[in-house]
Formats: sequence, C-alpha cells, structure tokens
Amino acid sequence: MGAPDSARAISVEAGQGCFVGLFDAMASPCEILIESEDRELATRLTRTAADEAWRIEDKFSRYLPGNVVGCINSCDGKPVEVDEETASLLDFAATLHALSDGRFDITSGVLREVWSFDGGDHIPDREAVSDVLQRVGWNRVSWRRPVLALQPGMEIDLGGIGKEYAVDRVAGILSEAAACSVVVNFGGDLAVTRPPQQRRAWRVGIEAVSATGGKGETVLQVRSGALATSGDSRRFLLKDGVRYSHILDPRSGWPVEGAPRSVTVAADTCTESGMLSTLAILEGYNAETFLDGEEVKYWCRR
Amino acid sequence: MNRTRIVSVGIVGLVTLASGCSSMGVEPWERDILAKEEMQLTTDPIEAAIDDHIYFSTAVTECTSMADKNPKSVSAALAAATCSLLGSVPAAPVQAAEEPTWDFNTALLYYGEDNDRVQDLSLNILARRNYVDDRSLTLGLTVDTLTGATPNGAIRQNVPQTFTRPSGSSAYTVPGGELPLDDTFKDTRAAITVGWEQPLGRLWKTSIGFSGSREYDYTHLGLNGSLSRDFNKRNTTVSAGLAVAHDIWDPVGGTPVAFAPMLDVGDTGNKTGSETKDIIDAVIGVTQVISRRLLVQLNYSFSNSSGYLTDPYKFLSLVDGATGETIPRVPPPGAEGPSHEFRFENRPDERTKQSLYGQAKYYMGGKVLDASYRYMTDDWEIDSHTVDLRLRWPLGEYSYIEPHFRFYTQSEADFYTISLVDGAELPAFASADYRLGNFDAITAGLKYGWKTRSGKEMSIRAEIYQQDGTIPGDLLIGNQVGRETYPDLDAIIVQFSYHFSR
Repeated sequence: MGAPDSARAISVEAGQGCFVGLFDAMASPCEILIESEDRELATRLTRTAADEAWRIEDKFSRYLPGNVVGCINSCDGKPVEVDEETASLLDFAATLHALSDGRFDITSGVLREVWSFDGGDHIPDREAVSDVLQRVGWNRVSWRRPVLALQPGMEIDLGGIGKEYAVDRVAGILSEAAACSVVVNFGGDLAVTRPPQQRRAWRVGIEAVSATGGKGETVLQVRSGALATSGDSRRFLLKDGVRYSHILDPRSGWPVEGAPRSVTVAADTCTESGMLSTLAILEGYNAETFLDGEEVKYWCRR
Repeated sequence: MNRTRIVSVGIVGLVTLASGCSSMGVEPWERDILAKEEMQLTTDPIEAAIDDHIYFSTAVTECTSMADKNPKSVSAALAAATCSLLGSVPAAPVQAAEEPTWDFNTALLYYGEDNDRVQDLSLNILARRNYVDDRSLTLGLTVDTLTGATPNGAIRQNVPQTFTRPSGSSAYTVPGGELPLDDTFKDTRAAITVGWEQPLGRLWKTSIGFSGSREYDYTHLGLNGSLSRDFNKRNTTVSAGLAVAHDIWDPVGGTPVAFAPMLDVGDTGNKTGSETKDIIDAVIGVTQVISRRLLVQLNYSFSNSSGYLTDPYKFLSLVDGATGETIPRVPPPGAEGPSHEFRFENRPDERTKQSLYGQAKYYMGGKVLDASYRYMTDDWEIDSHTVDLRLRWPLGEYSYIEPHFRFYTQSEADFYTISLVDGAELPAFASADYRLGNFDAITAGLKYGWKTRSGKEMSIRAEIYQQDGTIPGDLLIGNQVGRETYPDLDAIIVQFSYHFSR
C-alpha cells in the first residue's frame, strides 16, 4: 500500500453504457464501473468506494507511522493487541504462510533494505542478505489472536493482501448498496458485484499470453467473480545477463528463479485471485503446474 | 450473370442490400429474456442474407463450487480463509472467459430449380475481428457458381425456334411447344465486403463499409455507412443507413440496343459496349423493447437505381396482331440465325422503390417466434408483400429445430408484357421477364441446429420454394390464349452453416 495521495478527490465520467467513477488509492488508479443511467447513484457509489479504499489505506499502509501497522513495526518486539479487522488479516496471512510452505510471508518486507529493484545491476552480497534474513519469518513471530509480538527489528507489510482485500470489501459494500452490476477495479485487480444486465459481460483487457499462445492484449469477458494480476515485468535487476525478478523467496532472501513476468487468475473473489497469482509467481518455474493443479483459470506471461 | 435472379427467393439476392444496411446498428438492448441471443435481431450481412446463424445462450464458464474441490487443494483452503476474512461467501461463482478475437460464420448454400433450370452453389465466409471497446472489423467473402437455363423471354411456338446466343457466336434451337430457355448461363461470382463498426461515445454507434463483386459480365462497387443512437435507457434504438453503389454491365457479346432485332450469328450490328448503373439505398429504423419478452423493429427504406436497368440477355417475340404467332424469319443463305423475329427488351432507366418493414420477436418459455412483414412499392408499379414466420423450438440445451414459412406476392410491372405486335407502334418500355410478372411464392422449410462441446455451432436447413404466376388475360393475343402460361418454378434450398471462434 502506497502513501495516501495528496489529492483525495473522486470524479465521475460517462462511459459506454455505464458511468465510470475515478479516484486514486493505494498508489493505484481506481475505477468503479456502474451499469446504470443514474449519475447521482454513480457518484454516491464512487464516494462510498473511495471512502472505504482510503480507510483501508490509512489503516494498513506501512508508510503511515500512526496506524496499526506502524504501531506494530515500531514497538521493537513488544506485544501489541490489535483490532478485529487487523486480527482477521493476520489470521489470513498466517494461513497463507502455512499453505505456501513459507513462501508467502508478510514479514519479508525488510529484504528491501538490501534489494532495490530499480532496473539496475546492483546485486547485494550473500552476507548482507543473510543478515537481513535473520529478521524475516512468520515462524519467528508470536501471534495469539488478538496479540501479536514481533522480534526486535522485524516488520510486517500487508501490502501483498491489502489491495485485493480492499477490492472485495468495496465490492461487498456496493453490492448491498445497489442492484445494478458494478466493477471495482483497483489498478487491475477487480471484482464484479453481480452479472451485468445490459451487456453479456464486462470486457477486461489484460496484457498476457493466452494458454494457446499469442502475445499482446487479451480481452476477457467477466460476468461475475474477480481477476487479479501479480508480477510486474518492469521491476527487475539485470546483471551479467541474469535477470533477477523482484519476487523474493523469503526463505532464502533471493529472487525466485523462473518466475513468470505476470500471472492473472480468475476466482470467485479478488482476494483468492490475488493470492493464487502471488503463490503461482512464488512457485517460479512451476507456476503453471501449480495453477493447473488448482484447476483455476489463469493467463500467464513469461 | 444476373444478381437479381434469386431475389424472389430472398436468399442470395439480399446480399447487396444487406451489405448496404448490414450495420444498421439496430441492436436490441439485452434485458432479461431479451438478453438471450436468440432474441436478437440479426444484422450481419451473412446472417441477414442467409438467415442462418445459430444462437445459443452463452453461459460462459464452468462454475467452481468450493465444496466440490479437493479439500487438500490450496484453492479450497484459500477460499475458506477468504470467507473468514471477508465474513461472507462470494455472491456468485466466477464467470470469466477469454473473448474470442475472431468469429467465423461460414455457410454453403445450394439452390436448385427443377427442369435443369438455374443451379447455384454459394460459399459464404464472414470473419469478424473484435477489438476492445466494441469496435469490430468484418471481412466477408462470397463465391457463387451459377449454371443452368432460364427463360429468355420469347413465347412458345408450335414449331422449333432458333435463337442466336448472347455471345453472337452460335445459335440454339428450342423444340416446338416448349418454353424457350437460354441454357448459356454459367457464371462464377466473387464478392467481398469490408466493414468497420465502432461506438461514438456512450449512446452512438457508427459503421462504414465497402463492398465489391466481380463476375465476367458484371462489376459492383459500393460504399455504405450507418449511424445509430440509443434512447430511453437503451430500450429504443434509432438508426439510419446509407449505401451507394456503382455497377458496370459488360454483357457477353455487347449491350443490345433497345428493341433491336436479334441478328444472325456473327452480326453484332445490334450491340454496343458496356453500361453502368448507380444505386442509392437509404434506411431509417427504430428498434423498441416492448416488454421482457417482446422486441420489435420498424424500418422504412428508399432505393433509387438509375442507368442501365435492362436485362441484356432478355428479349420479346414480335407477333402477328391477329394470331399472336411469332413472325417467322429466314436467315440469309449460308448464315445461321434466328428463325423468328425477336426484339431485345427495354426498361426505364430509373427505378425508385420504397418499403416498410416490421419485425417482432416474441419469447415464450424457451421458444422464440420471429415474424416479419414487408411492403414494397416502386414506380414500375410493382407492389409486393412478404410475410415471414419462424419458430425456434429448443430440443434440450444444445440443439433446436426451426420451421420456416414465407409467403411472397407481387403485381406485375406496368411495362410487363408477353410479346410485341408487328406493325404497331413500339411502347416506350417492354419486358417479358417472368420476374417482373404477377406471381406468388411460398418458401417452406426446416432448420436443425446444434452446438458441439467445444462451442462450435452448426445448422442444416432444407427448404422448398414454389413460384406460381398468372399472365393477365388482356396481354394474350390470338393463339397465345391457352398456350402461353407463366413459367412456374419449383426449387430446393439446402444450406449448411458452421460458426466458430478463435
């Protein structure tokens, strides 16, 4: 989750057979597509969506010192009692850590102290990585709901869950608030509240390579459920002809080998889509094998 | 050879008009039952032309229920964890699929008239590339082969009749008592269409297109465009379209001079070079969603053709004003030529048609009734009425049958006649073309469509076509009464269609 945008404003534009609400949150352009002819409704829904997105951003951004994450990260190993929502996110993170054999770890953020994926060629030395790795590992923390105790120097970062969680939260709220179909799209991670009525499906363009091959933009028709994409082909390091992806394996502290540049997964919720695509990327060379085994629809770009 | 030959059957002949109005954009806005594809009004050239695209409701996905999954799988555990995190179960299972970028509609059509008259085999391929934001490119190709014989316009005689072929290079003889048919017909036609369609803002939609076709004696070039706008929460669509065409006739053996006599083999003194024809078609229409089950469309169209509208291969018998018998003619010694006096026909060089068209689609518990009516009138005094009924009856989830019935009736053109009287003053225009006469036609058939597991759609259609005409009594002279009858026609139509995407 990025820093709060200085300009927290919403705008509503007329799209094709829908209204489009726009705002920025979590360092992403956010878009609410509302299948309605009612501009007032569209404005109200966009406002509701933005408020919830900004609430989540404020509460969980690691860039804001005063919030719950800042509190946990700055208390130098002392136990912290957290609220219900934070506890639910920590439970979820704990489950993912177990499901991924330690590949998914919300304490891995401190590895950024040695890895900087700016497209350059600075590869840290092994010693520096090993040093930082001493402060990484969910197995090193004590989590007994609602009390979390990190070891001194450790940090948590909910950035790997936050955006997808926010999409699902907003979709849930908008689904209650309006009978029409709404798409909640936060920087490419999206969920549809209910099937559209005036069109067969919402059309979503993703940059990916389809299972049958053929690069370029693929258009997906989404009637319900969610899509999320993990990976970023622009963030990497290149040294001596070796490409280092920005996906780090928290167990070794080194980039995952053979990670796809991006993986888009379709699932019932955005949280599931996002976690499945993240787990697939962490599988490296086995990303497709993993996804095939899970029998989910996905689009992988290598 | 002549594109209008099958117009009365309402199949291939529609292509020209349809390509002009193909993207009228009269798009039904899908609501509820109206969202079902079988409730849509087809507007693609191939569909409009041959009425044969199979629609199925496209429930996109395999829906995955968490309970059905292997409990040891990551995704099942993840679903459970997400459910606790969000405090709710997903509203609906995911339905997402890759949008096909190319849609192909292909059809093979056989049209065959009885008694060795016209046979037409036609292959249609229509490819549509879909882009993001509802823009699309459409490419169409049609290849047609025509063979067989067609009435040449002359009346029956009790004695054999000899005619010079249109090419002027040989002659053919028709036995006494038989309807004179020209068996020279053999032609291959290739036609292409290119179309581009895109929305303009939220409520407007536009399209432009080009069409061209070539056969050895006829070339067609056309441009078309349309604009439509949605109103009333998209329950109403108003559209307008315009098509212009420039066609060139280059008849075999030259264009006959109006009312020129048929000459001996090798004598081209009655022929000139090529001729042209310009056509403007305009359509305005409105599509209205009446209820959850009913969709209606109304169109008014205007068409003006100017230039050479005569059929260069048709002529009339020159007859004795009292007996009605064709005036005999003896070719010069050593020459081969007509046995009687024949005069090439002549039609006005302008024709203006107007028509009103109404269509309704009604959904009743899975079945779809599609009914339409067209009234056409023109300044050649031809009035026609067409009623078309289809009932689409689903057979389970993957197939359907569709009975089809069509009735057509038209009055004759004001210059339609049977023969020209020797010695009398020539009329300004005259044609004995049976297609300009007074006739009724019935089409009846059945279509069966099915869909494969991989999503390919196929259908087969078989129809019979029957055309029965009458010659007004006052056009018959002397012995023609009782001998001359309208050349009735029976034909069969078989079509196989195949639709796939990739």
